Amino acid sequence: MSNTTHEVKKSKVDLNYSSALKPVQSDPSPEAKPLPKVTIDGKQYEFKPGDTIMQVAERYKVHEEIPRYCYHPGMPIAGTCRMCTVEVEKAPKLMTSCSTPAADGMVVHTRSEKVMKSRTGVMEFLLTNHPLDCPVCDKAGECELQDYNFEYGPAKSEFKEEKRVFEDATTKKLSEKITLNMNRCVHCERCVRFTDDVTKTNDLVMVNRGWHKELDVADERGLVNDYQGCLTDFCPVGALTMNDFRFKKRSWFLTKKPSVCDRCSKGCNIEVHSDAEVIYRYVPIYNEKVNGHWMCDEGRLSYNDFVNPTRVISPLMNYQNKLQSTSFETLIRDLKAKIKDSAKVDLVIGTDATREEASVLKDKISQVLGKNTSVYSFNGTNGVADSSQDKKLDHLLKMKDLTPNTKGLEELKISPLPSTGSEADVVIVFRNGRASIPQFKSSQKVILWGVWNLEEIKKLSTVNILGVLPGLATVEKAGSFINTDGIVQKFLPAINHKGGALSVQQVVNIMNTVN
Amino acid sequence: MMYNNEHFEPVITPNVTKPGCETLDFYLQNENGYKALEKTLKMKPAEVVDEVKKSNLRGRGGAGFPTGMKWSFMPANPVDEKGNPKPKYLVCNADEGEPGTFKDRLIFTKTPHRMIEGMIIGGFAIGSNKGFVYIRGEWHKEIRLMQKAIDDAYAKGFLGKNILGSGFDFDLVIYKGAGAYICGEETALLNSLEGKRGEPRLKPPFPAQVGAYGMPSCVNNVETFAAVPYIISKGWEKYAKMGPERSGGTRLICVSGHVNKPGVYELPMNLSINDIIDLAGGVKGGKLKAVIPGGASAPMLRADECHCLTDYDSLAKAGTMAGSGGLIVMNDSVNIVEATYTLLKFYEHESCGQCSQCREGSHWLARMFKRILDGGGTQDDLDYIAKICSNMAGQTICAFADAVTGPALSSVRKFRGEFEELIMRGGLKGVGRVESFSHKLEGAHV
Repeated sequence: MSNTTHEVKKSKVDLNYSSALKPVQSDPSPEAKPLPKVTIDGKQYEFKPGDTIMQVAERYKVHEEIPRYCYHPGMPIAGTCRMCTVEVEKAPKLMTSCSTPAADGMVVHTRSEKVMKSRTGVMEFLLTNHPLDCPVCDKAGECELQDYNFEYGPAKSEFKEEKRVFEDATTKKLSEKITLNMNRCVHCERCVRFTDDVTKTNDLVMVNRGWHKELDVADERGLVNDYQGCLTDFCPVGALTMNDFRFKKRSWFLTKKPSVCDRCSKGCNIEVHSDAEVIYRYVPIYNEKVNGHWMCDEGRLSYNDFVNPTRVISPLMNYQNKLQSTSFETLIRDLKAKIKDSAKVDLVIGTDATREEASVLKDKISQVLGKNTSVYSFNGTNGVADSSQDKKLDHLLKMKDLTPNTKGLEELKISPLPSTGSEADVVIVFRNGRASIPQFKSSQKVILWGVWNLEEIKKLSTVNILGVLPGLATVEKAGSFINTDGIVQKFLPAINHKGGALSVQQVVNIMNTVN
Repeated sequence: MMYNNEHFEPVITPNVTKPGCETLDFYLQNENGYKALEKTLKMKPAEVVDEVKKSNLRGRGGAGFPTGMKWSFMPANPVDEKGNPKPKYLVCNADEGEPGTFKDRLIFTKTPHRMIEGMIIGGFAIGSNKGFVYIRGEWHKEIRLMQKAIDDAYAKGFLGKNILGSGFDFDLVIYKGAGAYICGEETALLNSLEGKRGEPRLKPPFPAQVGAYGMPSCVNNVETFAAVPYIISKGWEKYAKMGPERSGGTRLICVSGHVNKPGVYELPMNLSINDIIDLAGGVKGGKLKAVIPGGASAPMLRADECHCLTDYDSLAKAGTMAGSGGLIVMNDSVNIVEATYTLLKFYEHESCGQCSQCREGSHWLARMFKRILDGGGTQDDLDYIAKICSNMAGQTICAFADAVTGPALSSVRKFRGEFEELIMRGGLKGVGRVESFSHKLEGAHV
């Protein structure tokens, strides 16, 4: 793992998703009431009325974290795992820090002997029926049961009974995306509360009672919500795993770098998990202003488009009516010759280009091609032409516009391509695999630029393609998007491109030098 | 006198042996029926609450919380965020599921109007216009009888709009539960009432703030409500005098097990457990070995501890609890390990499964007892039972985990010799040690 500055380790602090991460500032005005104070492990902390003990402890990072299974800041509090209990002076019993509001003058001990004994007890109970199949479990390495057991668990257990086995649910496909292994479950019920209160689809329920309590889908619809990947993010153990990631990679081999999802105009903050520059999955990063804790499945699985084996990663030149691999210099020299006599050249930039790319193209393209080129933007996903037609598709994150930067191109004053299409003899289409492909006329010559794959190119069989200039995908480059809410999000490369594609600036430089 | 108490008179059960005692006509003619309601409607709600408070009536469901205090916690004029008034609900907990307890069923089948009258008075006292009777679903006959009683009360104008011309409205609805033991816990009951999974809620907020359907609610036991008409009509002093300090009135004690005359007895609380066993005809078929004084959740008492009085505080001092009044008597033919395993099997099945300790612990304990019975036990297991219990008790949302540890821990502490002997013998079917055992195996354990 490298130690570059932009690397976000999915650390405890990152999992610290308390409602507002900023420390509470006391009001400077003299007549304002002083903020209440709570003592945690011998130190006094100010807090906002209504904060729970856990929120105060998280905000000030008292110790590393208070352990928890059922608590998740994006969901209602259940208070059932009993792992986060703390000792509150004058209270007869241990209190759950996730649900107990802090009070002025309260004295809390988060790691007293009584608390540690209780946590050890919980760990012992949870492990009695856990199969301990870590060597074949995908969660191993990022499992809260492992982590907390290392910290709090008993050295050995006296459990001599037979372990509970859910024979029908040891490998049970809840949907195309999710597989359930009920034996590993610790019954935190985050998943049930997620479908009840976050997606509001109510598609997961617990059936039966007590120790045979079992997770199942609610009815014949099955697991249908569009945020199923989140289930595996917050499942503290390997009970719910994503089929897409199952048995692909041990989690400790993954390099984790932040980026922005380009699957729709929301721009969810993601962490790209890769090994040897191959992406294995996306997971969401908490951003209060954009995506909260979640991300949709389309976005999560959209990395597959960039690791698609038919993606064009070397320049293709139309030679004897066939697209053939070549070098950038040769291709650009050829293209320049072919468009030399054309009357009009249009550059159509997909709204999935970054602001930086669009700005370079807009400013430089006429000069480097040596032709007067008109620049247009094009979206076309779900019939959206500009940001005014964008709208929310559900109450959470999904947007109608499936490109990430429609607003960014509008800010650069690049006008949308007219609905009648381009009238020029030569059309250069620059897109990063997200924007739709505009309609071409049979007389037009077309140059493709950016992220393309062979399936898309095959569909253009009637079009006279002069060449393909491969470009970098969003996670392979730096740049910025403006999302649907007008928030500018900058990102750095999450992986290094291993193919022959070049960035826009590099291609423009070649165009400038080659004649 | 037999009851050793000159103030004592039956409060709930004076006429339950007479034919037709469940009808409205009988209640009106022979028991001054609904006279307490008439009296109540001329009082102020605060006066009613005060009367109940002074009578020292404590909740008869198990926890023994003072009823008047509970009623006084109800907010006077609750409003929602927009300032609109919120309704208040009164809920009767008739989910009688505690093993060894069968008193509420007696009230339902023999004197249902006493409970209905108590509920209307309670509704008036806390300012509620709607009551729910949450009955466990297995009580088909009782549901039918209670529905008939409610219909009769509606026909006579004791329920419905403008009761007895006072302007006070009160509606009563029966809700059938699905038979989960945990739904006797008041917040699990409220969840079940709302149609959700019967799982106890995290407190606070308490039901008096956020109860049924998010509205302030008050949940009381059937027997508690049935005692209220007496308190109002005869006055708090008479009721309070019957019992010792801080626990007024009488209790319905359900005597079961090895006694000659099992059944429900209405008794004052100044009797000892031995007195009650004598009243119930003495121990049947052997010597007294152990007693569970307050339903299955109460820790057991050995025969030499049974001189203890049966009021709330004396039993608490003896390390057990008054609970729901289910007195289970065991003679010396009983194998304590097996008896405890039967209870643990029940708890293993009935844990709602929310909290880690209770879900896994109740299962673990039951399996461990089974292993000891089957001959796989070791002496270390006995120490470990205590450790499991200490990790469970008092650590969960509701008191279920404490209820599991009650029988498990007390049986090991008080009858450790019997456990050790069983382990050495190699379980119930073991042949390791020759010892005469009067108790015959009859396939009670599977």
